[in-house]
Amino acid sequence: MDETAVAGGGETGAGADWNPVERVILERRSVRKYKDRQVPENVVQRVLEAGRFAPSAGNTQPWKFIVIRDAAMLDEMERDIVRWCKIFKFFIDWRTSPLGRRMAWLMSQVSIRVKRNQLHPIPFGAICLVADGKLRAFHGAPTLILLLEDRRGAARPQVDIGCCGQNMVLAAHSMGLGTCWVGFVELLKYGLKWRRRLGVEFPYRICEGICLGYPFGNPNGMIEREVMDVDWYEDGAMRTVRQGGDDVTV
Amino acid sequence: MSRFSLRDRLSVPTYDNEVYATTGRLVIDLEKCNGCGICAQVCPGKAISIRGEGKAKRAYLDEDFPQCMSCNDCAAICERDALKVAVAYDFGLYYKKINRGEFAPPRKY
Repeated sequence: MDETAVAGGGETGAGADWNPVERVILERRSVRKYKDRQVPENVVQRVLEAGRFAPSAGNTQPWKFIVIRDAAMLDEMERDIVRWCKIFKFFIDWRTSPLGRRMAWLMSQVSIRVKRNQLHPIPFGAICLVADGKLRAFHGAPTLILLLEDRRGAARPQVDIGCCGQNMVLAAHSMGLGTCWVGFVELLKYGLKWRRRLGVEFPYRICEGICLGYPFGNPNGMIEREVMDVDWYEDGAMRTVRQGGDDVTV
Repeated sequence: MSRFSLRDRLSVPTYDNEVYATTGRLVIDLEKCNGCGICAQVCPGKAISIRGEGKAKRAYLDEDFPQCMSCNDCAAICERDALKVAVAYDFGLYYKKINRGEFAPPRKY
């Protein structure tokens, strides 16, 4: 065991078992069904504490957290998200739009080019599902942590938000909570309503949300993921190793 | 793959065009499945539906363009190991697809 390894780091020899931190990382799955039970305040604070100590570019710590535990407020946010999704669906879902297939198709083609990541087929499908009421934006979670990005941050503040959120998510899972990243909160920045109500103004901007609660059933577990090639440069040579696959050098 | 012809650029796949797009696919072991429905509840794309009555209840992947994102959340929550992702999604041309090799669980190194 390496001397600087933290407690519980365990053996790092070939084929050694995963340590507890690795286990949390590998077994964490997004949770989309929660129990009604509220998360105790001190546990949420422990989770936030993990976020506070995330790495950031130039140590700018370009984040701000808002914790929402008010069920009525979460419902209202969800309703507004549904409303925005309906508006988008009206204009760009060529399959159902009342504008007609051709018009909506044209709109979707333009929008896809403008917002290509936001309108990737998966979020596009999710927008339609949320608009139809088939998918709930917060999955019925009792607590929502909003992550605001400080736009005065160094380099790429959004990457720092990602680090910060992942710290919180992993800490939460290590305490038996379930979490899910909710990108749909981004829609709340379009109208003035929520920006006023939550006091979001320059330099802050709503970036991501993490919903938090006790999971229904046991969603955690290791699953199969894509195996991929990784290029290794070492001793003046390059080799490609299949990460996660059998020990074959391609 | 990184170079597109003009024709390719003009034909950004419309999502339900089967020429360009395939969604994720699941294999469901109907003998292990007892139709409890938890997979349908956690599926982010609501691509799984429960059909049948009483003891004949089983999970099925929607035939008509399921929004399966190959995330395997259903596999993780299923207590009976009845289903997992068999085919990854591919939305062609412009979008990241899961095509870097077969699927594998975490490995010890």
